[in-house]
Amino acid sequence: MTHESRRLTPEAARLLTLSTEPWVSCDECFELVDAYVERLLEDPDTTAMPGLLVHLRGCAACAEEAESLLLLVARQDGRDPGPAVARLRGLG
Amino acid sequence: MTTLGRGTVPIVDEPVDWPTALSLPGPAQDMALRRLHALMVRAARHQVWRMRGMLPGVDAVTCEDLANSAADEALTALLGKLDTFEGRSRFTTWAYKFAILQAATEVRRHAWAKREVHLEDADLWSDKGAGPEQHAEAVDLASAVADAMREALTPYQRKIAVALLVDQVPVDVLAERLSTTRGALYKALHEARGRLRAHLAATGHLTDPDGSHR
Repeated sequence: MTHESRRLTPEAARLLTLSTEPWVSCDECFELVDAYVERLLEDPDTTAMPGLLVHLRGCAACAEEAESLLLLVARQDGRDPGPAVARLRGLG
Repeated sequence: MTTLGRGTVPIVDEPVDWPTALSLPGPAQDMALRRLHALMVRAARHQVWRMRGMLPGVDAVTCEDLANSAADEALTALLGKLDTFEGRSRFTTWAYKFAILQAATEVRRHAWAKREVHLEDADLWSDKGAGPEQHAEAVDLASAVADAMREALTPYQRKIAVALLVDQVPVDVLAERLSTTRGALYKALHEARGRLRAHLAATGHLTDPDGSHR
């Protein structure tokens, strides 16, 4: 086996040590994400489904798809997605 | 047609009860299927163009093919799970997620089709050449994480963690290359993160394995 040295940036270190408790799987995320996106658009400060938000901060693929769904629904409904997107990204 | 305002995407003549319309054979089902397929294409196209940056050199026709292919696959997946729709969201939102998942997966697969994924048991160290803008504490943590990677993780966990979070291989691409599932890889990553946090707590780099950094 080849051993290769890599650069471990502070951002990679942060992602590696992110707490992903409480546990939510990718399958559970997929089951819940449509309801969560609608809830988040209604109330960006919602505290519903805290485990799902933890999962989205720890799983880049699910986060991308959740944000995409949120933007599509917001556009369809004529809503401002800004506050909800900020919450998804951990900025709000 | 309902007009929802500037920049919005109207939904045309949406059935009130999608599951019933899709379940009962007849003209209403045919109509519902056509409308649903159009919605899936819309969502898949939205996703493909959102991830367009991953596809340099790919022309618009190929993007459209990707979107249509993803919409077809997603429609099949949705119809197979129609009886699981519980009305916790609007049907259209529920449907869109199938198309978005499939389109995102297709784009990642396409983007990585000619790229190798090196699963090596890497030795990691912090960025010694980090600029002054990088806080010394963050560099110190990176160094401690590199040590924890070597000491607390199994070789498999280390390979998965490095591939996903250091080399940034998309999780569904890695799952396909390893003949496993996205969920299984995320579970392995979750367990690796728990081990790293526990190790860093024991060495004083985290105050609480379930809390924040020191």
